Formats: sequence, structure tokens, C-alpha cells
Amino acid sequence: MAEQRKVEYRQLDAGYQFPPSGCQVDAATASAYLGVVEETSHLYWGTGLVPPMAVAALVMALLSEHISFPAGAIHVSQELEFNNTVSTSDILTSHAGVVRKQDRGKLCLLTIDLNVFNQAEKEVLTGKTSFVLPKVE
Amino acid sequence: MINLSQLKEGMDLPEIKKVVRQENINRYAEVSRDFNPIHIDADYARQTPLGGTVAHGMLILAYISQMMTAAFEESWVSDGKLIVRFKAPARPGDTITASGKVRRVEKSEDRNLVNCEVLCKNQNDEAVITGEAVVRVKG
Repeated sequence: MAEQRKVEYRQLDAGYQFPPSGCQVDAATASAYLGVVEETSHLYWGTGLVPPMAVAALVMALLSEHISFPAGAIHVSQELEFNNTVSTSDILTSHAGVVRKQDRGKLCLLTIDLNVFNQAEKEVLTGKTSFVLPKVE
Repeated sequence: MINLSQLKEGMDLPEIKKVVRQENINRYAEVSRDFNPIHIDADYARQTPLGGTVAHGMLILAYISQMMTAAFEESWVSDGKLIVRFKAPARPGDTITASGKVRRVEKSEDRNLVNCEVLCKNQNDEAVITGEAVVRVKG
């Protein structure tokens, strides 16, 4: 996604919905992910099963393509719920929306809801992610 | 994998230890497409209050998920939940230990709801991530 299509966090308010994003954790990506995190579980290697945290990482990446964060933004908390397994052939759709934006002095707390569905429209992952951002005037 | 009959409140989950390397942070940036310079640009990071590069929080969180996968296998992957706070940055050279303790086991007819306290700490015993993990185990 082009940089100019990112939304400044200042423009975001509770209720804002980001456009849905299609994605897939293909075999090459899953394998690269397993290597990076040094995951050795037999569940994942050569089985086509995608580690749920790889899905979460991809969803966070998609989210970051939609938002322009100021320097100094900090990822402060994360909730994730894995509702169904994901395979490397699954086509996923990620939905995200702002649930809370709260001013705290010179900082701003931004919380975003995440919902990911597979091609059968089964929910595979839900979550909430929160960032503390320095206010930029 | 932990045998259901072994599950008891207060028991420790097998720990996982990882050394954070800049090379892994760089590779994680590629995989996750998170190229925030605080993770990968040493010159930039040196001039920030953090004083140097730090690992992606989600990379360190993956170690907790790895510990839960080792303990609960498919149950974790298909019916697991994490609620965590990122308390401190993990830096290249840090040794991170992911640990967990079973807090509650709620038995129902065909499932056991296992609630665990989870933690990632560094070599100085500083908490990097704290929180809880919940997994529904058949049986």
C-alpha cells in the first residue's frame, strides 16, 4: 500500500473502520517465520499448519500499512484469541477498527480491534492491540 | 506435551530460553513487514530515548506462544488466548526466558479451561512481557 494512503493517527476516532485486507501466510512465509522465531514444533514444520502468531504478525503488518504512527509510538499491550487453525492455503481477510482513543496528557492511547476470517468466513483470530503515541501538534 | 492427568494448579510450564540477535530482529522485520527504524536502524535508535535497537514486541511474544504450543499443542493453536502487556524492551544480546505457571484448571464435561500466568523476563530478571494465557483442552 502506498504511503500516502495511510491515515494519520490524529484523524482516527473510536468507530473508525479500516478497509478489510486480504492476506495469506503461504508456505514460504510460514517457513521463514518459523526460522526467525526458532520454532521447532513438529506441529508446524512440513504440515501446512500456520503458527497463530504468524497470522497475528501478518495482521499487525497489514494494520501498519493503514496507519501513520509518529516516532516514539510504543506497542503497550496485546490480546489475541486463536479460534480456528490456519493453513498455508487459507485465504484470510483481516478487519480492524478503532475501539478507543484516549488523551493522556502529552500522550494518546489508541486501541484497535482485530478480526480475521478464512475463506469459509470462519473466524480464525480476534484481538485487541494498544499503542501509546506521543501527541504531535 | 503436558499430559492432562499431570495438569495441576501451581505447576510450572517448561521454560523456553532465547537469545535476541539483531540478525533475527532484521529477519523478523522482513517477515512481519515492520520496518520501524527503532528495530533495525542502529544509528537512528541510538538517538532515541531507548538508546539502541529493540526487538519487536510480537517477536518476543512469539516465545510465549511457542512455550504454550510445546505444552498444549493443537489445543493452543485452535483454542488459545493471550492477554499481555509489554513492560520493557528486549535488546540484541538479551537472553529471554519465557515461563508460565498454571493458575486455574476449570473442568467441564468435555473440556478443561486452563488459565496460566505467563512471563518473559531478561537475564537481569526484568519483566519484558507479563500476562495470562488461556487454553481450552479436550478431555
